[in-house]
Amino acid sequence: MSEKSFINVPLNRVEGDLEIRAEIEDGVVRDAWCSGTMFRGFERILQGRAALDGLLLTPRICGICGTSHQAAAAAALNRIAGITPPPDARRVIDLVLMCEHIQSDMRHGFLMFTADFVNPAYKDNPLYEEALRRYAPLKGETVIEVIRETKKVLEINAILSGQWPHSSFIVPGGIVSRPNDTELLKCRMILKHYRKWYENRILGCSIERFGEIRSAGKFDAWLDEKQARRESDLGFYVRYSRKTGLDKIGSGCTNFLSFGSTEPPGCSGTDSRLFPAGFLHQGIIFDFAQENISEHVATSWFLDYTGGKHPFEGETRPFASGYEGKKYSWAKAPRYKDLPAETGPLADMLVSGNSLIADMAAVEGHSAFLRELARLLRPAILIPAMEQCLSEIRSNAEFYISPGEISEGEGFGLAGAARGGLGHWVKIREGKIAHYQIITPTAWNLSPRDSNDVRGPAEEALMGTEVRDPANPVELGHVIRSFDACLVCTVHVVDGVQ
Amino acid sequence: MSRSLYWLQCGGCGGDTMSLLSLESPDLTEMLDMLDLEILWHPSLSSMSAQEHSLLLEDIYRGRQSLDILCVEGAVIRGPGGTGMFDVFQGHPRKDMLIRLATKARYVIAVGTCACFGGITGAGDVEAVGLQYIRKVKGGLLGEDFISKAGLPVINLPGCPCHCEVQAGVLSALISDSPLSFTHYHTPLPWYGMLVHQGCVRNEYHEYRVEEEDFGEKGCLFFHMGCKGPLTYGPCNKLLWNRRSSKTYIGAPCAGCTQPDFPSEYPYFRTRNIAGIPLELPDGVDRAHYLAYKGMAAAAAPLRLKKRDTQV
Repeated sequence: MSEKSFINVPLNRVEGDLEIRAEIEDGVVRDAWCSGTMFRGFERILQGRAALDGLLLTPRICGICGTSHQAAAAAALNRIAGITPPPDARRVIDLVLMCEHIQSDMRHGFLMFTADFVNPAYKDNPLYEEALRRYAPLKGETVIEVIRETKKVLEINAILSGQWPHSSFIVPGGIVSRPNDTELLKCRMILKHYRKWYENRILGCSIERFGEIRSAGKFDAWLDEKQARRESDLGFYVRYSRKTGLDKIGSGCTNFLSFGSTEPPGCSGTDSRLFPAGFLHQGIIFDFAQENISEHVATSWFLDYTGGKHPFEGETRPFASGYEGKKYSWAKAPRYKDLPAETGPLADMLVSGNSLIADMAAVEGHSAFLRELARLLRPAILIPAMEQCLSEIRSNAEFYISPGEISEGEGFGLAGAARGGLGHWVKIREGKIAHYQIITPTAWNLSPRDSNDVRGPAEEALMGTEVRDPANPVELGHVIRSFDACLVCTVHVVDGVQ
Repeated sequence: MSRSLYWLQCGGCGGDTMSLLSLESPDLTEMLDMLDLEILWHPSLSSMSAQEHSLLLEDIYRGRQSLDILCVEGAVIRGPGGTGMFDVFQGHPRKDMLIRLATKARYVIAVGTCACFGGITGAGDVEAVGLQYIRKVKGGLLGEDFISKAGLPVINLPGCPCHCEVQAGVLSALISDSPLSFTHYHTPLPWYGMLVHQGCVRNEYHEYRVEEEDFGEKGCLFFHMGCKGPLTYGPCNKLLWNRRSSKTYIGAPCAGCTQPDFPSEYPYFRTRNIAGIPLELPDGVDRAHYLAYKGMAAAAAPLRLKKRDTQV
């Protein structure tokens, strides 16, 4: 006879509040529900406010990716004003965004994700002692180094944008700051220092050498070639994950969505973006169009409407009915062409055709391991792009074009945030915010079921996960945290437009 | 004996924790060592399982585990209809958990404007409040008479986010039994007894009333661009952010994020003014005198400032 039980797990080390409910049969997850347990109700804050106020208020939705919110908010207003910021302003914005990403990637990886490697469930693992030495919360060698180095690279953000977190330097028409040559030089030095640290401590080789690895086979050969690589944090991550089976769990819905990492012109000054936008479904990459996005509320604590609504038409009327009936989350269910979709570094890399990650997905399959691996490797792609950005920014260039009064219109702004695609949809009437809807990366990834009863990506990723000890379901933590969930972001910023 | 700290996250963005990670000399891990301060729980950093966490909470509630410092980040969400069900932990309102912890702690610290006064979250419709204030009015979740076991009201550390040096400075002072003086809103005087304006690199432009009416220039942002630096108590331009800079340094107006009435109900990026003089003037300043002083100052402005030759 099979044994069936339910477990409820409040999960920390996700930014915000998340509870997982899993139905476990014979030690395997048979069904799962992701519940965002906090509603912050941003709608009243923005509604009726001046057009520019979203620039200051929306970054406060998230303490980690505030710059991305600002970039999206400004992009929406640029669209309404019909204005294109000068290319050098665009480069500074890209640079500051990428800086936000490369610190977030390391903090998530080694302060939040690998903290599970020292879970007592693994105490008999031969690598446990070493994991403890590296990743014990606030004590591990890598933890200490990540805290020390990530704050240094954020000095770039302070120099260019005033402070991190929660600056407000991006405005419609460009940026308020005008970096001079000495400041740009300082940024280069800070970035160079971070690159060196990332190469030595995390990668175990130069970014250029690592860039030569284009297949799963080459990756394993690279790892085995030198002791330093096996002992780098990337090397250890790979060895530990494979030993504990992280490469066998957490596959997900395998639809991937990328909003693109920068708005054209990208770092190169052409229309080619570092990570182009696209939707990967059943192995085919489709062009991305924001018109295909909708949000469902069938299982979310909001008053019902039929099917999905595009964010320009979205509505948010909270309905705290508790855990009875179908509703179980404060997150809505965003869908692309009515399908659930995963977003984040893995999606960005697959959609952009990154050969190593694509080959690993093909050879080894999707997993929590691969998802986090993409995050840990992203700085190897971003750091050279940041260097290029820095070499292209001209201190005597134009950084701001006055957009004039923004009084009427609707527009959307998209940004590639650290955790994936972020979108703001805004309507301005008589100079005031009449409608503001935000869909965050976590809303995509940690989405509850939609009106067709289809699970969200993380819920789907939990399916089939083996749970060895229901009292300490560390495996569920691996799967969920591989999405770098940020629940403080599942705010709903809407209105009723009346 | 080591001291203990529990960090509770309520209705906020986690930005104060992110700010704390930028602490320098000593950095966060070094500081914890030096102070012999043990973080019993921090939602972003602890690796304790949910079950262990529940046991820890039980131990604190029953007095088996002492709690020296309770840090709360984010506003207390009380909606809908006072139930607290907009923010729950294991099915129960988080505000109830906060009250239980607050009665056990020697010191209660509200970290960030949301926890102090309601802040951004408080401006929404989820009935969110600060621990002991609702914007400028005393009360909040814990009530105006609340004092923690050590005999102090809630220690307010506003800022959106709160600067890491302020967080670390207060923890150090409390653990070292070093005396702290407080302002009217029970914020520590060393950091909130000064204006953001103090130390701004645009001060000379401000003095001579060389003003900007759009972004991207070097002049003062107070008179037209909505900068609240001269109206706001906080240490931004003394301590600087991430060791390097500040909003007003780079030309972004101060948002007044440490003030009890943040976010302001009026539009940002513009100054409400009468005849070119801001409606709101720095604390204690007489309007007629200010008008005369700024008129004379503008007349005395040197050409190098008018031409924006002086660097910021």
